[in-house]
Parts: sequence; C-alpha cells; structure tokens
Amino acid sequence: MEVLDPTLFAKVQPVLAAALKVTATDITSELQFGDLPQWDSMGHMEVMVSLEAQLGVEINADTITALTSVAAICEHLAQNGHA
Amino acid sequence: MPETSTLEVTPVVAIPPHLVGQIQSKLAYVDEAIAAAQVAESGDRITLTLRSAGNAAEIEAKVQRVVQEMAQGSIAPRVEILEDHLARPVSYDADPLTELLARREVYEESTGIFTFGPLMSRLIEYFEGRFLQLAAHFEAQPYRFPTLMSAKFLDRVDYFKAFPHSLTFATHLREDLDIINEFAEKAKYEGHGLNSPAEFFSQIQALLSPAVCYHLYFSLADHPLPNGQLIATAVGNCFRYESNNLTSLERLWNFTMREVIFVGSKDFVLEKREQSRLFMQKIFEELGLAYQVETANDPFFVGEFRKQAAFQNAFQLKYEIRARLPFKDSTLAIGSYNYHQDFFGRHLDITLPDGKPIHTGCTAFGLERVAYAFLAQHGFDPARWPAAVREALP
Repeated sequence: MEVLDPTLFAKVQPVLAAALKVTATDITSELQFGDLPQWDSMGHMEVMVSLEAQLGVEINADTITALTSVAAICEHLAQNGHA
Repeated sequence: MPETSTLEVTPVVAIPPHLVGQIQSKLAYVDEAIAAAQVAESGDRITLTLRSAGNAAEIEAKVQRVVQEMAQGSIAPRVEILEDHLARPVSYDADPLTELLARREVYEESTGIFTFGPLMSRLIEYFEGRFLQLAAHFEAQPYRFPTLMSAKFLDRVDYFKAFPHSLTFATHLREDLDIINEFAEKAKYEGHGLNSPAEFFSQIQALLSPAVCYHLYFSLADHPLPNGQLIATAVGNCFRYESNNLTSLERLWNFTMREVIFVGSKDFVLEKREQSRLFMQKIFEELGLAYQVETANDPFFVGEFRKQAAFQNAFQLKYEIRARLPFKDSTLAIGSYNYHQDFFGRHLDITLPDGKPIHTGCTAFGLERVAYAFLAQHGFDPARWPAAVREALP
C-alpha cells in the first residue's frame, strides 16, 4: 500500500471532512469516491469546490474524474507544488 | 395587444459561450413579468421583454443572481462528439409546424399542450416501432407505468433540488363537503387559470411524471435486484414545465418517451448503453436522419447547475442525439443515452447480489420530437422520404 505524504494528508483530511460533513477520522488515506454515502456525485462536487476554494485546485473535466480518492488528491497536490 | 416593455441588463459576470443557451432558458423562471429573454451570443447583454413595467430593479437583481450563480467560476464542459451525421442529405428547409397547423395535423390546446392528427400519429407509431426493435434486440421486459409519480419517491432521489422549475404537480380538492360544493358552484376559468383559492386543494402527494425510467427504479426500491440485472422497456407521458420556452413542437409541456432501461453492474449498464448507440446508428441511417451524438447535461436549476452539470459532463453520463433542423440551422435533442452510475441504487437501496448498489442507465427517445425533426428534414411529400419510412407508412 502506498504511503501518503503526511503533510499533504493533513491538509486534505479537514477539507474533505468539511466538504462531506463527516468527522476527520472518517477521511482515511485509503478512502475513495463511493466508500462513504456522503461521497456520492453531489458530495464529490462539494469536495471539488472545497479543494478549489481552499487549496487552489482547478476544477475541470480531468480533475473531476481523476481526483476520486484521497491518494489521488494528495498526488495531484504534490505534482502541483503543494508538498 | 398587451403592453410590453424592454429591459436591458449588462451581466455582472461575462457569460461564457457554453452557458448562453442554458442561462437564457433559466431566465424564464426569474419573474412572472418576463415574457421573453434573449442573451446575446457575446454573453455581455441580456434583453428582457416584460409583460408590464413591473419592478425593473428587482427583476434585474434576480437576473444578476442567476448569472452569478451559473457563470461565476463556471466549469467549461468537455464536448465530445461520438457521431456526426449532420451532413446527411435532407430535402426540406421550412419549419414543418406552419404546414402542420395549416393542415390541422397539430392543434395547440394550450401552451405546450398539443394534439396530433393522423400523419403525426402514424409517424410517431412508426418511429416507436423502430425503437422497439432496440428493445427486442435486448429482449427487454415490457412494463407499464402510471402518468402520476409519487412525491415521496421523487424526494428520495433529490429531484426537487435538481429540477424544481420544471415540476408539474397533481392535486385534487380537499375532502370537505363545503369546499367541493363551493368549487362546483363558483369555479371558472378566468384570466390565466381557475379562480379557486389554493387552500381548496390537497397537499401534493403526486406529480405528473417527468421521466419514464424512474418508475422502474421506484418499483425496485428497498430490495436486492433478483438475478442482479434487468432490461426493461416502457413508453410514457412525461411532463416538464418550460415556461416561456414552451415554443413550437420543440418543447412540449406534455410529451411521450419510449425508453429502454438497464439495471445491473457498472460494466453491464455501460456495455448496454454503448450497444444501444451502435444499434440505433443503423436505424437512424435507414430513417435518413441527419444528426449527431454529443456529450450533454440535464437542465439542472440554477443552484445545482454548476456542480451537477460539471459532474455529468466530466463522467460522460449523458449523450444526446441531436437532429438537424435545417430551417433554423440548429439542432434539437430527440433522444439520449444515459448512465446514472449508482445514484438510484444508493438513494433507493437497490442492491446487487454482492450487496453493492445497482447501477442504472437508459436510452430514451422523445417521440414527438423525432417525428417533428423528421418532417423538418424530409417534409410532407412521401415521395421524398427515405425508402424505409415511405414503404412503411400507408
């Protein structure tokens, strides 16, 4: 199992928890779209809007379809200078 | 002629090209005083025709709210064209509605409510028969659904949040002798509707169906899906209130859809959706239809639009079949190939044998629009129709 950068995970965890209206402990490093009832299509767009507002992630068709797991979000942030 | 006035609005946010039509259609719902709305293609000007002077400042503020919510930070869609047959030869270039009205082939009973005569009825029956070939290809099970749809179930699938503007409600008089008697004595159609007070009517328990396939999902709710997959077909009346956008035969308040519906695993539904498209490609060729298939989104209302439309587009959940309308150099959606992911499975608790939520999809055809688009492309002289249609119709 891939180990996530703890600094990035610490950034992502509260953003996702607030977007999905769950507790921070619900946001694990293995979590992906569909694992929680809250992370459905609407929840996913709440995640995207929060990532845009708080971490500067651009929302487009590519990011919407790619950022469907905590790991993918952390990797995207790393590749875009958030490490 | 009723007196009208014009209100010019400069949008606070520039409207990007992909939102010009979507915002224009939503402006009909902003205020009852708006008789028509036009967004300039450049996206920097909105012209409203008002039924009366009204409160222009209030109307402008509401218009700006719509523009801001839909255009600010808008997410550009990725348009993918799966098929392009728009150059297929056509032999007619007038709006068939003029001729249909002149022949009394269509009659507008009320705004958006049309009756159809023998020609349109035969064409619709013929095209529906062709769509039934798709259903037969999949050995789809036949279903019959009511025209009314349960408000309780529509709530479970968040329909009221996504499409509040287009709902059509069913009601009845409250069970009260005095109310029923007073209604019977005094009810009259005055101005633009019945004169009866709203408190005479019951709470809303049902609506007129906005779609066909929802009935199938509701019937499967709260149970595991036997055998883990199902293909069904049904035809039904659908109702979508489109306010000032109810024009011509392009947008009807009451229309009919024939659907082929897929329920099962993700792979099963996606495979059937693609097989549908390939099967229909051959049928549309026989019909001589000029059309294209492209990614699209549903007409979500203002607050939900930005997020839901972007999600639908990004995951390519909807492909529209858009037929050419030569008389206006435009296209009209006559059907769609849809994939809902596990949305209905989750909201309605329908599960696969492994306990996971089912996935759903459907192929849907708007029958009146298909007939209208056909006449718009091939006209009224059967001698000029494609052979398959000419030979099938008496």
